Amino acid sequence: MTIPFIVFVSGVVIAAASGLVGSLLTLRKMTLLSDALSHIALPGIALGILFHFTPIWGGIVFLFLGVFLIWAIEARTKLATESITGVLFVTALAIGALLIPEEELLETFFGNVQSISYPAAYIQMMVAILIIGVTLSFLKHLTLTSIAPDLATASKISKKSIEILLLVLIATTIAVGISFVGVLLMSSLLIVPAVTAKNLAKTFKGFIGISMGISAFSLFLGLCVASVYSINPGLATVLISSGIFFASLLVPTK
Amino acid sequence: MKQEIPTLLSVKNLSVAFRENHVIKHISFDIHKEEVLAIVGPNGAGKSVLLKTLLGIIEPTAGSIEWFPGIRIGYLPQRFHVDMYLPMTVGEFLDLKPRKILTNEAVLRLLKLEKSWLKKRLAHLSSGQLQRILLAWALLDDPQILLFDEPTENVDVAGQESIYTLLHHLQDTTGLSLILVSHDLQVVYKYANNVLCLNGKQVCYGEPKEALDHKTLSELFGDHTVFHHHHL
Repeated sequence: MTIPFIVFVSGVVIAAASGLVGSLLTLRKMTLLSDALSHIALPGIALGILFHFTPIWGGIVFLFLGVFLIWAIEARTKLATESITGVLFVTALAIGALLIPEEELLETFFGNVQSISYPAAYIQMMVAILIIGVTLSFLKHLTLTSIAPDLATASKISKKSIEILLLVLIATTIAVGISFVGVLLMSSLLIVPAVTAKNLAKTFKGFIGISMGISAFSLFLGLCVASVYSINPGLATVLISSGIFFASLLVPTK
Repeated sequence: MKQEIPTLLSVKNLSVAFRENHVIKHISFDIHKEEVLAIVGPNGAGKSVLLKTLLGIIEPTAGSIEWFPGIRIGYLPQRFHVDMYLPMTVGEFLDLKPRKILTNEAVLRLLKLEKSWLKKRLAHLSSGQLQRILLAWALLDDPQILLFDEPTENVDVAGQESIYTLLHHLQDTTGLSLILVSHDLQVVYKYANNVLCLNGKQVCYGEPKEALDHKTLSELFGDHTVFHHHHL
């Protein structure tokens, strides 16, 4: 298959953004949250397919609706974010799987690079640049709230707003990444590179840099492999990033 | 004499309740410049809750907390759990502090630590060393008063001894005021000007030698006072 140049560029930038946001998730041990959250996009994608608009916009709307619901339920019940996400995730998965026509289901789960239009690739890239910008400008607050919540509160950092910011960042990252790797494989961009980087890095700067690098490299190589051997790019990307993870285990521990 | 020394903190009739349960009730005390106040009491007496309320992390249900206007407050939490695999150096950690007044190097000098500490991995530090780095964190905004929640676990006796020596040294050199939450009465007698005994309610308040009489101690710690006397 031929993959347009803009899709390559957009994919690499999106993957870098995922590596960055993913590294923050790993600090919080919230890695599975992102995995569950990505499924909340499903009913929105289904509506897009059924009513013939670009499915990813439906996905974005549902992701934000999901984030809002998580926040609202959490405020009301004091249940943990993960628990609420768990409930919403299975509900959304069931609704999505019911609504999405069977022949499109695989594509939704594993991504379809060929369905990405030029304008969509361009917009997604811009959003990814915005994600990187916002994350970097709030990096200190996001990091401190994750590793030492008490110190953050004592420094008058609002834990609640930082948590909401992080949820919005995750949701947006998932939204722009889904068309590349699909709902099921989104964690290959968010989690695997960050976990690998955590294993390899000695400093925080190194951790973030390595995570972004591995993520971008995996997606780039995944697209290359896909265009040569016509296999699904999402699957290729996952296997490459997890291959790097297993190879990193061979590096002597620090 | 005392009227001329500025009051840094004035607490009146402070109560904190979670839902219906009172954790602390009717607490009143003052802290003046260069004073060391120790807060003692058994486990679950509400000591950490009191500190967090003073810091504004927890909302009081009743009473008032009046800080000296514009005062800079430092805080050393009881626990700071660092993930064994956290890839972060001491320098990078200290750089996370918002609104720093002192530099990392200046703070390390205050604590008599080498500059090379900035390059150490946070995850490789012992609990005692980590506590010193937390102290460095607290000193970055050049506080006039430091709130120190003594850890109940994991810090070895030698490490604990040296942190008090360090705090004492800081107090001598910078005129820092201190609020210490402690369960070690030896620390209280050695370092504190005033002591506040807490067991949900305020059991005593005053100079340690007068405030900590036999009756107070048995009210605080039950029949284990014999052990505490022996400990002294």
